[in-house]
Amino acid sequence: MNQILFGVIATMGVLSALGTVLARNLVHAGLFLVAFFFLIACQFVMLEAEFLAAVQVLVYIGAVAIILMFGIMLTRNIQGDDTTTVSRAGFIAGGLAAVGLLTVLIFGITHEEGRSGRPAWNSVTTRPAIYPASARKSESQAAAINNMGLAVGEDLLTRYIVAFEAAGILLTAALVGAIALAIQEGPVSDDPSDRVKSKQNAESLAADEAESLLTSSRA
Amino acid sequence: MNDIPLTWFLIFAAACFVIGLMGVLVRRNAIAVLMAIEIMLNAANINLVAFWRYGTPVEGDSPISGVMFAIFVITVAAAEVAVGIGLILLCYRRWHAADVDRFDSLSG
Amino acid sequence: MPVNAPVLFDFIHLAPEIILSLWGLFVVMIDVALLRRRSSATRGRILGVMSIIGALAALASIYLPDMMDLGHAASNVEESLFQGTILGGLLVERLTALLLILLIFVIALSTTWDLTEHWGEYYALLLWATVGMILLIASEELLTLFLTLEMMTICLYIVTAFEKDQRRSAEGGLKYFVYGSVSSALFLFGLSLLYGLTGTTRLAAIGLALAPAHTSIGLVGNVAGAMAVLLVLVGFGFKISAVPFHQWAPDAYEGAPAPVSAWLATGSKLASIVALMKVLVQALGPWAHGVNDISSPGWVGIVAVISALTMTYGNFAALAQKNLKRMLAYSSIAHAGYMLVGVLAVVVGAGKSAAGPVLFYLVVYSAANIGAFSIAAWLYRDKGTDQIEDLNGLGLKYPILGMCVLLLMLSLIGLPGLAGFWGKFFMFSEALSQGDDRHKLTFLWLVGLGLMNSVISAFYYVRVLRAMFLRPSTGRPLQAPTLTIRLAVIGSAAVALIFGLYPQPLSTETDAMAESRIFITPSRPAELLSVSPVRVVPRPNASDDTRLRAGPIGGGPSAPPEPTPVPDSRAK
Repeated sequence: MNQILFGVIATMGVLSALGTVLARNLVHAGLFLVAFFFLIACQFVMLEAEFLAAVQVLVYIGAVAIILMFGIMLTRNIQGDDTTTVSRAGFIAGGLAAVGLLTVLIFGITHEEGRSGRPAWNSVTTRPAIYPASARKSESQAAAINNMGLAVGEDLLTRYIVAFEAAGILLTAALVGAIALAIQEGPVSDDPSDRVKSKQNAESLAADEAESLLTSSRA
Repeated sequence: MNDIPLTWFLIFAAACFVIGLMGVLVRRNAIAVLMAIEIMLNAANINLVAFWRYGTPVEGDSPISGVMFAIFVITVAAAEVAVGIGLILLCYRRWHAADVDRFDSLSG
Repeated sequence: MPVNAPVLFDFIHLAPEIILSLWGLFVVMIDVALLRRRSSATRGRILGVMSIIGALAALASIYLPDMMDLGHAASNVEESLFQGTILGGLLVERLTALLLILLIFVIALSTTWDLTEHWGEYYALLLWATVGMILLIASEELLTLFLTLEMMTICLYIVTAFEKDQRRSAEGGLKYFVYGSVSSALFLFGLSLLYGLTGTTRLAAIGLALAPAHTSIGLVGNVAGAMAVLLVLVGFGFKISAVPFHQWAPDAYEGAPAPVSAWLATGSKLASIVALMKVLVQALGPWAHGVNDISSPGWVGIVAVISALTMTYGNFAALAQKNLKRMLAYSSIAHAGYMLVGVLAVVVGAGKSAAGPVLFYLVVYSAANIGAFSIAAWLYRDKGTDQIEDLNGLGLKYPILGMCVLLLMLSLIGLPGLAGFWGKFFMFSEALSQGDDRHKLTFLWLVGLGLMNSVISAFYYVRVLRAMFLRPSTGRPLQAPTLTIRLAVIGSAAVALIFGLYPQPLSTETDAMAESRIFITPSRPAELLSVSPVRVVPRPNASDDTRLRAGPIGGGPSAPPEPTPVPDSRAK
C-alpha cells in the first residue's frame, strides 16, 4: 500500500518536474512547479515529516511560487510565452547529459556499500521503528517524529540558534536587497502610472517576502 | 504492509535533481532557470529527510538534523528566489528580455 | 524534555557578528528615517562613516572574550560553541579581524563616487555579507556552513547589481546569481549525499565516520561518495572561482562597482578558501587518497587538476584583457589556483603548519587586491571606464601613488623582497616538503606550473605599470584621488613592502593561526584502531595510524610503502 502510494506520488512528481522544465509556456511551467512542490510535500508526509510538509506548502507554494508567478507576469506578456527557442542540438545534449548523470547517480545509490560501520543504502528497506520499545537507539528520534514542532523549536533555539539568527538576517537582507533592486526610482518612464505600478510590484514582492520570513521563522 | 526501501526515495530525488539540472542547461529564460534550481533544491531536501528517517542519529547530533537542514534549505530558497526575481526584474527593465543569453554586454 | 540552553558566554564570542548585524539594520533605519531628504552623495558619506564606526566597534568587540575573562583561558584556546556548531578561538578571531579591516577599506572606497541611491541598504548588505563570511569561517557543521555560504553570496549578488544606472552592473549581478545558485544547488545535493553517507552534519564527525579503521582506500568503488565529493567541489570551486566554474567571475567583477569587486576578490574568496580547506581536511580528509597509494582515486587528484587548470587559464586569459577590473578578475582566478596548491599541501600534510602559508598568502593577496581595486575605483570615478589604457601617465602625475601601485603589482607577480614573493615561497616550499615521494612528483609539477605562471602573470601586471609610467597621459586627466583611495593604496603597498622585508611576524602569526584543529583530519581514537579486527597484515610500524592521527608534521606523511593492503579483509 505504502509502496503503491509512493509509486504514484513519485511518478507524478517526476512528471511535474519534467513538465516544469519542458513546458514552453512559463505560466504552465509555474503551475507544474506548484504541483511539484505539493508532491514533494506529500513525500515529506510519506517520510513522516508532516511539519516539514506544512512548511513546504506554506513557504514554497505560498510564497516562492507566487513570487515566481509575479516574475513571470512582470517579464512577459500575460500569456507567459517563452519566446526563445532552444536549439534541438542543445536540447539533446542537455538530455543526454541528464540521462548520463542519472545513470551514474542511480548506480552510486544502489551500489553504496555502507562503509565505516553503516548499513549499505541498498539494504535499508525499512525505517527504524519510532516506538521506543522496539527501537534500538532512536528514542529521541521517535519523540521528535511524534512531536516534531517541539523538537524543531528546541533545536532552533539551542543547537542551531546561530543558524536561526543568521537565517533571520539572511531573509532581512534578501528583503531589503530585493526591494532596493526592484524599486524604480526617478522618472524613468514618462507615464506616471508606470512608476506607481512598479512600486506596487516591489511592495507585493516585499509582502511575499515578509510572509516567507514569517512562516520560516515560525518554523 | 511493506515499507518503502530507502533507495526508492534516493532514486526519486536523483531523478528530480537531474531533471532540474537539465532544465538549467536547456532553458534560457532566467525565471525558468530559477524554477529548475528550485527543483534541484527540493530533490536535495528529499534526500536529507529520507536519510534522516532511515538512519539513526549519530551520538551528539540533533535527533532531527536532516529535517533541520531541510528547513534551512527552504529558508535559503525563499531568500534566493526573492533576490533572483529582483535581479531579473532589474535586467528586464534594461533589456526587455529575461533570457540569460540576451545579456551579453560583458564578455571576453 | 530537558532543554540544553546555549550558554550566555557563547554569545560573547559572537559579539562582532551581532554588532555587525544590528548595525546593518541601524544603518538602513537611519537612512530611511533621517536622511531621506539629503542628497545621495551626502548620505553615502554619512552612512559610510557610520558603517565604518560599526565595523570598528565589531573589531574592538573581538577582544571582548579576552577582556571579560570569565574563568576561561585566553582566547587562543579553541572551543566549540553552541553544541559544536560554531568554532571560537584564535583562528576565527584573527580572520574576523582581518575581514573587518578589509571591510573598512571596502566601505571607505565605496564613498569614492555616488554609486547608488540606496546607500543604507548598500552598506547594510556589505555588513551582512561580512557576518556571513565570519560565520562561514567559524561554522563547524554542514547546515551552518551552507546557510552562511548562502548568506554571504546572496548579499553579494545584490550588491553586485547595486549600481542600477549601469547596465553591466545588473548583468554582472544576474550572471553571478544564476551561476551561483546553480552551483549552490549542486553543492547542497552533494552535502545531502554526504549526510547520507555519514549520518551526521558535523564536519569532525563526518571525518570520523569516513576514516576507516585500518586503512583508507580513497574513493575506490565508491560512486556515491565520489559524486558527493565532486558536487561539494563544484560548490566551492564556484565560490573561489576555480576554473571549470569561473565563468561568472570576470563578468561579476567587471560589472560590480569597484568596491564590491574588491570585496568579491578579497573577503568572499578568503572566507571560501578557509571553508574549503576546513571541509576538505576535516570532513573529507580520509577520502583524499588511499593511505598507501596516492594514485588511488581520491579527490587529491581532482583538486590538483583544478588547481593546475585554474592558474594556467586565469593567467592566459588575463593576458588578453584590456579592462582593469576584468584583468584583476582573471588574476584573482589565477591566485585561487596557486592557493589550491597550498590547500593540497595542507591535506597531504594532514596537519597544522601547512595551513600557515595559505593564510599568509590570503592576507597578502587580499591586501594587494584592495589596493588594486581602489585604483579601479579612482579610474571609474573620473573617467567612467576601467580600461587599462586610461591609466596612461598616472604614475608620472601622482608619483607616490604610482610607486605604491608599482609595489603592489610587483608583489602580485611575486618579485623577491615583497610580500607576494614570500606568500608564494612559503606556500610552494611547504608543498614541496609535504608528503613522500609519490606526493612529491605531483607537487613538483604543480609548483613548477605555478612558477611558470608567475612569470606569465608578470606580463599583464607589467602592462598596468607600462601604462602608468611609460605612456603619455591621454584624454581627460584624473582628478586628485580622495583620501580613502590614497589610504587604501598606500596601506596595501605598505603591507606588501613591510611584510616583504620582514615576513617573520606575519608568518609566525599565520602559523599560530594554523594550529587550529579545523586543519587536522580527525581520527579515530587509538584504542579503536588497535582493537580493529580487520588488521590482518602486521605493520612494520604504526605509520598509518600516526598519519591518521595527524601527528607532528615530521613523522606524519612518511608512510613507508607497504605490502598491498588487504581489500578482502574489509568485506563484511
